[in-house]
Amino acid sequence: MTFLKHRPNFKLWVGLLVIGVAIGIAGAGNVLLNGHSAVYNVTREIPWGILIATYVFLVVSSTGLCLVSSLGHVFGIAKFEFIGKRAILLAILTLLCGFGAIAMELNHPIRMGIYAIISPNFTSPIWWMGTLYGLYLMLLCAEFFFLMKGMHKGAFAMGMIGFIAAVAAHSNLGAVFGLLEARPFWHGSFLPIYFIISALVSGGAIVSMIVYFNHKLSGQEMPQQYEDFMETLGKLQALFLMILVFFVVWKIIPGIYGHPPEKYEATMAMLTGPLAFNFWFFEVLLGLAIPVVILLNKKTRTPYGVMMAGLSATVGIFFMRYDLVIAGQLVSMREGTADLVGGLLQYTPSVTEIAIVIGAISACLLLYTIAERLLPLESDH
Amino acid sequence: MKNKRFAIVLDTRRCIDCKACTVACKAENDVPLGSENYRNWVGEEELRGQYPKLGQSNTPCQCQHCGNPPCAHVCPTKATEVNPDGIVHVVAEKCIGCKYCMTACPYNARYYNEEIEAVDKCTFCTHRVYAGREPACVETCPTKVRVFGDLNDPNSEVSKLLTKYPSRVLKESQGTKPYLIYII
Repeated sequence: MTFLKHRPNFKLWVGLLVIGVAIGIAGAGNVLLNGHSAVYNVTREIPWGILIATYVFLVVSSTGLCLVSSLGHVFGIAKFEFIGKRAILLAILTLLCGFGAIAMELNHPIRMGIYAIISPNFTSPIWWMGTLYGLYLMLLCAEFFFLMKGMHKGAFAMGMIGFIAAVAAHSNLGAVFGLLEARPFWHGSFLPIYFIISALVSGGAIVSMIVYFNHKLSGQEMPQQYEDFMETLGKLQALFLMILVFFVVWKIIPGIYGHPPEKYEATMAMLTGPLAFNFWFFEVLLGLAIPVVILLNKKTRTPYGVMMAGLSATVGIFFMRYDLVIAGQLVSMREGTADLVGGLLQYTPSVTEIAIVIGAISACLLLYTIAERLLPLESDH
Repeated sequence: MKNKRFAIVLDTRRCIDCKACTVACKAENDVPLGSENYRNWVGEEELRGQYPKLGQSNTPCQCQHCGNPPCAHVCPTKATEVNPDGIVHVVAEKCIGCKYCMTACPYNARYYNEEIEAVDKCTFCTHRVYAGREPACVETCPTKVRVFGDLNDPNSEVSKLLTKYPSRVLKESQGTKPYLIYII
């Protein structure tokens, strides 16, 4: 409890976020002025970079927040009911900022709006992704409206449909990768399923931070109800994380067993290759090991500990998204490609790409901070 | 064109790696400058043997105009179209630049063309073929590696070559049913 003993400096927090948003705007301006190919490091062979990973990270967070909050007002677990408004609000904001990140990666977001409607391709997972996430966004907004108005029946109905839309949209996002037969590291039914469990981890982690910092920022003591909630969330989060560990292990074993072509090289890129530090330090240590240790130990499963586990997991999860997106593209599609390093293609995000990532995440946090000030988000339960 | 199935049959033993096909294609189709911008290329296979007795083959390659094209399946706006004659092409104004087709293509046959602001790829030189001419890469090849024609016509040169010689396609296990066919 030593960290953040004093009330954190609100102005400093907002100031940092404003700077982050400004960096993002500068990055976006740079793209608009100079064009994608001049300022992004994505290539013909690795066309999806850190912006796609950030999009995935943000929409996974959104889905996770929706799923975790539905434990309360849809599935009737009373302890979870009071987080509804905040979780749904942040689900909306993370989704919008995710859309912002992918809009910067797309060359023609405006064409998308037109031709996705007048020339839809129903066999395209990306078409479904846009449609389902669009629907999901509307449902979240309706749910948030009903929650704010205290209309519980409406909130329940929207929450129920929203839950289904979240699962559909998010498993479909896994399918955007999973249906690519050309990319053995992604191909198969694994990713749609994995995305759902990792969304639960993301959602739980972010909820723990919302609840904790909300009280710290307003300088309040945490009421018993919230302390109890953090304890329960911590236990649940430990379970989610253990399931995620299982998924990570079973992603790796088929990737190396018998050296399956292309899958093996991509898996090894994560275990010992260019993504190894990301994998072992961020994904395994910060994303899984530290949170699991904190949450399984009764002594450290305090509100502060649960929040720290959430923060650590969230950082780890960002790298999980990045590694997943990049590793799937590191193996060249054809023989005789020049410029391979250790048999793999290379990608490092450009300054502009990183600026937009910072901007997207800062915008999300800034909007939430403002909303927290302006809207009555405290639950009446 | 109806009732046709266009294909290129290649005899890679004739390839001298001169890259005239790539140059002709870039000139013919206004492919922008830059090392990432090309519609076709000459792949270098691994060296065989030991110095000084060495051998190497080259595999000229481009869009395979697949019978089962993953790029067309994944395109969210149907910007990738398949003509009745099998030619796969991109309708530039429908392309949103999501690059899903680029991740879906197992041959890396696509690139983003900043000048036309869309994903671009080999079109078998549709504009020439529909005017009764051959694709630029076929016409320019000094050693006649490539033969272009209609597989639905049993008397076409491509059909005759495939009757005469055994052949292979690239990444057959992907199930893409390519129409760039290599004589073994």
